[in-house]
Amino acid sequence: MIRIQKEDVDIGSLITAAKKPGTGAVVVFDGIVRDDGITEMELEAYEDVAVPEMEKIARAATEQFRLLHVDIIHRIGRLAVGENILIIVVSAGHRPDAYAGSRYIIEEIKKSVPIWKKELTKDGGRWVPGEHGHGSGKHG
Amino acid sequence: MTIKIRFFARFRELLGTDIVTEPGAKTALLGLIKEIAGKNREGYDAIFDENGSFREFVILMRNGKRVELVDAATVIVADGDEIAVFPPVAGG
Repeated sequence: MIRIQKEDVDIGSLITAAKKPGTGAVVVFDGIVRDDGITEMELEAYEDVAVPEMEKIARAATEQFRLLHVDIIHRIGRLAVGENILIIVVSAGHRPDAYAGSRYIIEEIKKSVPIWKKELTKDGGRWVPGEHGHGSGKHG
Repeated sequence: MTIKIRFFARFRELLGTDIVTEPGAKTALLGLIKEIAGKNREGYDAIFDENGSFREFVILMRNGKRVELVDAATVIVADGDEIAVFPPVAGG
């Protein structure tokens, strides 16, 4: 499942669904709104481009790390401190591939998927700076 | 000819988004974005430098495909195009 959505997800059910035949390891990455003196975080996506880009990353990770299952759910909208932002669930036959595949997916998302975060504070807000020189569509 | 321009993140806050415009024939991407961004000084300054060139971090897309900034002056928009302009991505 590759999705951008406002709603949270049940990570437990994702883990259950990830246990495909041959699975020896499931790795879950759960990115969370950190308490950096903010009140909330607001996330925005260019969904028409972001979803296909995440699908491309999932395909590349599956091929490179022999993954058996990949879920990527990136949330948008207003999220409170402690809420889930991004959930990545991968399964593989062995733990090195599961760990490496999960790490690959999060790092690629940060480089190329058009999503932005604004930290909301009592005094207003500030956009989280992206990685300079990176941006969506670099891989086509 | 109808073109839709979508700004995101800080650019959206300053300039709005889903702006539908009807440029004349043979309008280049650079000129079109300058015209739209020119309606708000702060928005224009966020995207263009003092020489009127794109700031180097700006990302441009035409119909979901990246357009290099150096090509924006020569890429001619076509009817139905969706143009996206945004700052570096920061998801995850």
